[in-house]
Amino acid sequence: MRTTVVRATTALTAIAAIAAMAGCSSSTSAKSSAAGGSQGKVTLTFVNWDGGMQAAVDQWNKENPNIQVQLTKPSGTGYTLYNKLITNNAAGTNPDVTEVEYQALPALIANKVIVPIDQYIGDISADFDKSSLAQVQFEGKTYGVPQNVCPMVFFYRKDIFDSLGLKPPTTWAEYAADAATVHARNPKQYIGNFSAVDSGWFAGLAQQAGANWWTTSGTTWNVAIDDAPTQKVANYWSDLIDKGLVSPEPNWSPQWSTDMNDGTIIGWVSAQWAPNQFPSVAKDTSGKWVAAPLPAWDAGDPTVGIWGGETEAVTSNSKHPAEAAKFVKWLNSSAEGVRTLIQQVDAFPASLSNQNQDALKTPPPFMSDQQDYNTLIAQEAKSVRTFQVWGPDANVTFDAYSNDFAAALQNKTPLSAALTQMQQATVDDLKKRGFSVTG
Amino acid sequence: MKARRQRHTLLPQALLLPAVVLFLLFTVAPGGYAIYLSFMKQKAGGGLFGTDNPTTVFAGLENYQAAFGDAEFWHSIGRMLLVAVIGVPATIGLSTLFALCLDAKRTRLVGFSRLAIFLPYAVPGVVATLLWGFMYLPATSPIGGDVVNYFGSHTVFFAVANVAVWGVLGFNMVVIYTSLRGLPRELFQAAELDGASELQIALRVKLPMLAPTLTLVTVFSLIGALQLFNEPTTLKPVTNAISSTWVPLMRVYTDAFVDNDIYRGAAASFLLIVLTVAATVAANTVLRLIARGSER
Repeated sequence: MRTTVVRATTALTAIAAIAAMAGCSSSTSAKSSAAGGSQGKVTLTFVNWDGGMQAAVDQWNKENPNIQVQLTKPSGTGYTLYNKLITNNAAGTNPDVTEVEYQALPALIANKVIVPIDQYIGDISADFDKSSLAQVQFEGKTYGVPQNVCPMVFFYRKDIFDSLGLKPPTTWAEYAADAATVHARNPKQYIGNFSAVDSGWFAGLAQQAGANWWTTSGTTWNVAIDDAPTQKVANYWSDLIDKGLVSPEPNWSPQWSTDMNDGTIIGWVSAQWAPNQFPSVAKDTSGKWVAAPLPAWDAGDPTVGIWGGETEAVTSNSKHPAEAAKFVKWLNSSAEGVRTLIQQVDAFPASLSNQNQDALKTPPPFMSDQQDYNTLIAQEAKSVRTFQVWGPDANVTFDAYSNDFAAALQNKTPLSAALTQMQQATVDDLKKRGFSVTG
Repeated sequence: MKARRQRHTLLPQALLLPAVVLFLLFTVAPGGYAIYLSFMKQKAGGGLFGTDNPTTVFAGLENYQAAFGDAEFWHSIGRMLLVAVIGVPATIGLSTLFALCLDAKRTRLVGFSRLAIFLPYAVPGVVATLLWGFMYLPATSPIGGDVVNYFGSHTVFFAVANVAVWGVLGFNMVVIYTSLRGLPRELFQAAELDGASELQIALRVKLPMLAPTLTLVTVFSLIGALQLFNEPTTLKPVTNAISSTWVPLMRVYTDAFVDNDIYRGAAASFLLIVLTVAATVAANTVLRLIARGSER
């Protein structure tokens, strides 16, 4: 008798749950019809994970009562978000505007998740340099307004470097020598780590060395992930790893954070946005890190790659692309929008007319000891070298990186072999999808 | 008389209906759709990004051939089996041991211990795995992570199995313990009168009578092992030892949601369902035979 009651209750709960779900969907449709309603008031949904973005949205909402933006933080960042966008696209449930890192834009275009916005924003080429535009313009169409430039820079613990009598390395040869010095003085200490989870990081280093992982001629893709410059980078790090001079721990793990916080790892090859991440990575070290230009392959060569950088794009699901594009343009190229991004998100703007803003005269809070932080970034931003284009399956490439490089670190096999696997995985995937490929 | 019998047969069906409807809606229908997807593929259209008229075409067995002929898929099954070989016996052994200990006559604090052992089951797998991640990493480890490398190429299997074991141990212990409490007490008293020690009673009287329960628990654990996903997925970002295709379900997830090839993911998952059902039926049969053998 008792079990019968329990089962009946379970069934009732299930029915109630279904009813609740049905209720949910009907309320959603009610909301969307209200959004497109008679008063001409539009509500846009915007997905972005950057800390501080709400301030920019608030600013916009205050000035645009008829185009209200609703910010949501996605449950996952990076590819977790992009894959969700691709999956939701078919169901038509994507937000109007989404954050996209440059390397993921081609994949979203190939999956028809986002739409070109030229007709709404006009010609933006006067306000952005070629390398920024190359990240968002393909086949003559513009898919987003570039938000920031993220040149790679070298962060180091000035206090520890000073106590060891070291200066920040200016070349990779010096970096290797310093790595040996640091490790010899204290076998538990490292100048940095090699991260197998951040393919964007490795791609940035390859860009600096002169690699071009993807190139196009007409509509044919050429993939060259295991080209000579990338091999050079892989072999360089292989050597440091073999000698045990850098830590093999992946970025963002509790292990790495602890090491970064307590002075076990005293350097980080990173990018412009690092000060925004430091508070959660190494909270006790505020003011102790200083940024220096990324070490060069040839002394005096200022070329650097980028790690990250993003744009805001309008989705094909959006019912209000014109309004969405207007918001995107405001956010990333108006004086006000960009000022808020600088102050609240620690961004370095891609918009050229905004690179002299007063807000850039003060460093991000975490870099309070380096007053000229943004001057350094501005200078590095001028020497940025990117790939010609990111492939439409960079997600596959990045996944292959994290698997093959991690396996190489784990099994102590050469990184160059992992590079070959990465190349293979990328080419195979493009072929499988029916793209025309060479390489 | 006849009418009354009819009412008897209709009532259970009516009560089953909601469950059947839910099962059809949320298991059979998506399953059917997945099978449909597994026979299709996306073909890029014209233009640099293939966005001019991309089409979904019939792929025949192509996805299955790809999944079947993929060495990494079989490697992932191998890794899953390794974890299962470590984890399932450990789960059964420990949960039986704990249940027997709790059931022993002289045990104190039974209620507290039972709750303490059961509690890890109530902690969501992802949370538990995060905690274990901290325990394993040298920088944060209170259990000697700087001496033992918990993420070595071999130790990683134990590290993952360990997390999984503690997650299901409590549940299995409760099942076994409940079954123990249901056994007739007179038998134990008789054995005691015959001069059997507590240990002898546990091993010679209680354990054989637990055989059917242990069969059930083993099948549960096996199915759980085949579905291994949470633990390695959560541990992946903290170590180089776990790839995104480490176990079959991760492989399916990566195919579908990282490489954006839901068609191939569907094929691999269908293949996995077939293997899982086969393994469950096989395990069930073998264990039943063993249990019947020990009853004689």
